[in-house]
Amino acid sequence: MGSLIGIDVGGTYTDAVRISDGFIDKKGKIPTDQEDILSTIIAALDYLQIADSPEIDYITVSTTLVTNAILQKTLPEVRMILFPGSGMKLTALPWPVSYTTLAGEMDYRGRIVTEPDPAEWQLLAEEIKRLATKPLLAIVSKFSHRNSFFEEKLAAFLESEVPGIRMALGSRYGHTNFYRRSLTTYLNLAAEGLFVRFADDLHQALASRGCLAPVRVLKADGGVLPLDKIRPVESVYSGPAASVLGAMAQSSLEKSYVVVDIGGTTTDIGLVLSGSPLISTHGAQIGPFLTNVRSLAVRSLSVGGDSAVIVNEGEIILADHRLGPAYCIGGSVPTPTDAIRYLNLSDYGDYNKAEQGLMTLLPEDKRDKKNARDLAERIVKIMTEKIALAIEQLLEEWKAEPAYKVWEVFHHHADFKLSIQLSGGGAPGIISTLAKRMNMDTVLVEHSEVSNAIGAAMAKPTFSWTLHLDTQFRIYRIEETGEQGCWSGPKKPQRVVEDFLRDLVQSHASSLGINGDDLEKDIFDYFPLVENYHTVGQIIRGAMHVPPGVTGRVKA
Amino acid sequence: MNKTGVIFFPAFDWSLGELHPEREERLLYTQEQIFEEGIMDLPQIKQFSPSVADIGNVLRTQAIFPGPKNHSLDAHLIAVGSSLVLGNALMNQEITNGFAMVRPPGHHAGATVWGNRGFCTLNTEAILINYLRATYGIKRIAVVDTDVHHGDGTQDIFYHDPNVLFISLHQDGRTLYPGTGFVEEKGGPNAWDSVLNIPLLPGTGDEGILYALENWIMPRVEAFKPDMIINSAGQDNHFTDPLASMNVTARGYGKITERIKPDLAVLEGGYSIEGALPYINMAILLALSGEDYSGVIEPQRPKDKALHGDAVISYLNDLRRKQEKVAPSWNYRNDSFLPEGKWVYNEKSIYYDTDGFNEHRKDYIRQCSHCGGTVLIFSQKPSAFQKGVLIRIPFDACPQCEQAGYDLAENLIKSENMIMMQNQLKNKVHMWHNGEEVSPFGFKN
Ligand SMILES: [Zn+2]
Ligand SMILES: [Zn+2]
Repeated sequence: MGSLIGIDVGGTYTDAVRISDGFIDKKGKIPTDQEDILSTIIAALDYLQIADSPEIDYITVSTTLVTNAILQKTLPEVRMILFPGSGMKLTALPWPVSYTTLAGEMDYRGRIVTEPDPAEWQLLAEEIKRLATKPLLAIVSKFSHRNSFFEEKLAAFLESEVPGIRMALGSRYGHTNFYRRSLTTYLNLAAEGLFVRFADDLHQALASRGCLAPVRVLKADGGVLPLDKIRPVESVYSGPAASVLGAMAQSSLEKSYVVVDIGGTTTDIGLVLSGSPLISTHGAQIGPFLTNVRSLAVRSLSVGGDSAVIVNEGEIILADHRLGPAYCIGGSVPTPTDAIRYLNLSDYGDYNKAEQGLMTLLPEDKRDKKNARDLAERIVKIMTEKIALAIEQLLEEWKAEPAYKVWEVFHHHADFKLSIQLSGGGAPGIISTLAKRMNMDTVLVEHSEVSNAIGAAMAKPTFSWTLHLDTQFRIYRIEETGEQGCWSGPKKPQRVVEDFLRDLVQSHASSLGINGDDLEKDIFDYFPLVENYHTVGQIIRGAMHVPPGVTGRVKA
Repeated sequence: MNKTGVIFFPAFDWSLGELHPEREERLLYTQEQIFEEGIMDLPQIKQFSPSVADIGNVLRTQAIFPGPKNHSLDAHLIAVGSSLVLGNALMNQEITNGFAMVRPPGHHAGATVWGNRGFCTLNTEAILINYLRATYGIKRIAVVDTDVHHGDGTQDIFYHDPNVLFISLHQDGRTLYPGTGFVEEKGGPNAWDSVLNIPLLPGTGDEGILYALENWIMPRVEAFKPDMIINSAGQDNHFTDPLASMNVTARGYGKITERIKPDLAVLEGGYSIEGALPYINMAILLALSGEDYSGVIEPQRPKDKALHGDAVISYLNDLRRKQEKVAPSWNYRNDSFLPEGKWVYNEKSIYYDTDGFNEHRKDYIRQCSHCGGTVLIFSQKPSAFQKGVLIRIPFDACPQCEQAGYDLAENLIKSENMIMMQNQLKNKVHMWHNGEEVSPFGFKN
């Protein structure tokens, strides 16, 4: 067996780790250059001396590339074309982008209620033809996850009128929620160019170092996919997912715990229940964009070891931004890292400088060791309290997850005995205060400072296929990809349908280079369709997953 | 802006049978519609998690015979529990209003329960109301039941309760289940005029219902000065409903909701699974949350001729004159086991359509000018040779009525083998089996 490489690009530092046969044989942190993620990743790979490691199984990267581009609004413009039909007013929800609406309506089973208007399509084509630069087009119709007909038809029409135009269809994100599906389609199309360039450059850089190892990208749901198979928008917020996986790779199987990863800029909090990370019921939110990107249920708190500490009229405030590194390593503003250093809870940074930094926050007549110590303790306490509140919120959210079946309600939230798995640079500094505040066993993970990179390196590919089958209309669809097809089986298929889905999943998995053997099956729902007291068919919903997880445990 | 709480509990794994209208698919398309619209992403909407009601909350309001264990209540307890979650959220001011989009329904379940009637076993709204009174001390509550069927169960539970105004709009009982809900039913001797029934002509439509709401119902509600308004939001008035023949549209339901301004709405019936429910639920939700619902348009259009405005209005005006003229008349009984006081007596038979049997009831009410009065109900399921007794001491009971309740229990323990007492005043439930006091199942006194 060869080596696994994990790179997690964080806000302040990029963690890098090389794992061989389960043992960590190289680990380190490289400062992140947010302006140049690619160089940062290459620097991390060089640090790991990949050129000397010929047998690398995988390089797995968790990157902030797309997240940053979305938040900094550097993505190219996309023209959004919607078929909203009737229902709630589009203006009821905030659209962070402008859109054009077209006539044509579909109902919840994908039946056409109103046909589109060809004259509108013609006008649209003429308008696009006149534009000097051809826009990117995201086309989304309400209920296109039930029937992609309008989207496909319009795309074909525009392709014939304006050949070569780049388009993306909402039905390829076959989840329900027109609003989120529209914004997800938009973001993915907008990020595609950026991501393709990134992938090319990364491949080239690796080749120049004689490395041909496959590169995988970590997704928000904690799974990985090959660099050239991932949909760019799925790579958002993979940092928190890396934290959760990192804890999983360093904890015993089947345990339930809260993951707290304290970075320089942010603290990520996640939840693992009986060895499985909790998935959010909604999709990820990226800045003003609500998406249906599947993600782990995590909270990212903008507080970390490098948060600036400010005193305002005697009140100590932890700012939700950082102003350079901690005072004790040459920064200009005192931070929790300084407080932790001063209390000797870590040996990172210079003790005297930490003291110096803390003194700047004290009134001139109170600059002595006793007051500095009190101040440091208060800073740690404030940070602990912020983290504790965020943990409580996440637990609250988990308990408020909706349930749609009698069985689910009666088996909701079995009592889990939770502990805390703590990681990240600032972790040793708050371990005891956090344990006390939460009244939970709190454990520092072994390779705390590079836990995220370990998570990335050891992440499993994830995979989820959800079938929606309407045997009355003889149509099936796959939610994750929008694939549609005809159903030729019986009207009340029962078990046949599970085999049908399994076959589809296996063939798709192999096309992604994923082993689809350890599939988990959800309970399938069968809804009888009754008309005039006769059963005319069934609507069946079922899903199979390879859930997120890690390929093994790190050996000590 | 309103903050609207929602619990969506479609009970996808529960039904009364494959060919039954109350089946698992009932809210499937509602889910498709509201999730696809992104309604749950509206900033003013907060989705809550369903919860299971404690049986004690049920027994405070309904006597379950022979006992709760004899019924399969799981799904019903979740429908009830979910509405209590919203009740709590409302009282904690987490929300300004709420909609429990739950099944199964409940408004045909009455004060005594031997089985399932009209798809109902537990009365969600009634249990909710008494929970809010017992827990938060709410005094006066108005219920507007907009299901196409008469809310006979809710009426039965609150018939003697002067602090609950029950108003039911429904298709005339001569043409529709359960065959009750006439203008003559106006409340018991201590709660006269706390019940208002408005039987409507088939085909009444949006216009007629809105006329009744504006000119009759809402003025009546306002005069009552309730602390809270609950809407039993049945959706079977829709023009596509297979069980009824009113002519109401989804947008009509939006307007109805806007006029009633319920603090809490609870889904009741509605069996046009494809044509009505997704659209009405959406319209109600949007109306509650203060959003524009004018874009909610069903694919089908009403095809029956709606009754014309004038005809409906003159029918309603006649009906109102008739309703106002109804005068009370009571039968008194003086049986040996009755404590001191004047006792009004009434007999009735209740048909359980789902299970096909009758319940016979003998109701006694202690006439009282100070409180709602003690209620005594002898209930029989003759087909099973079973009998149960319910004694209810009302909220705000006067000392004489509370004493009368305990005297009744003492007298009847000797002759009756199953007695349940709801002491709503003290928030206690007692049960006696064969002369012995037993703990009501699962209920912590
Ligand atoms: Zn009904
Ligand atoms: Zn009294």
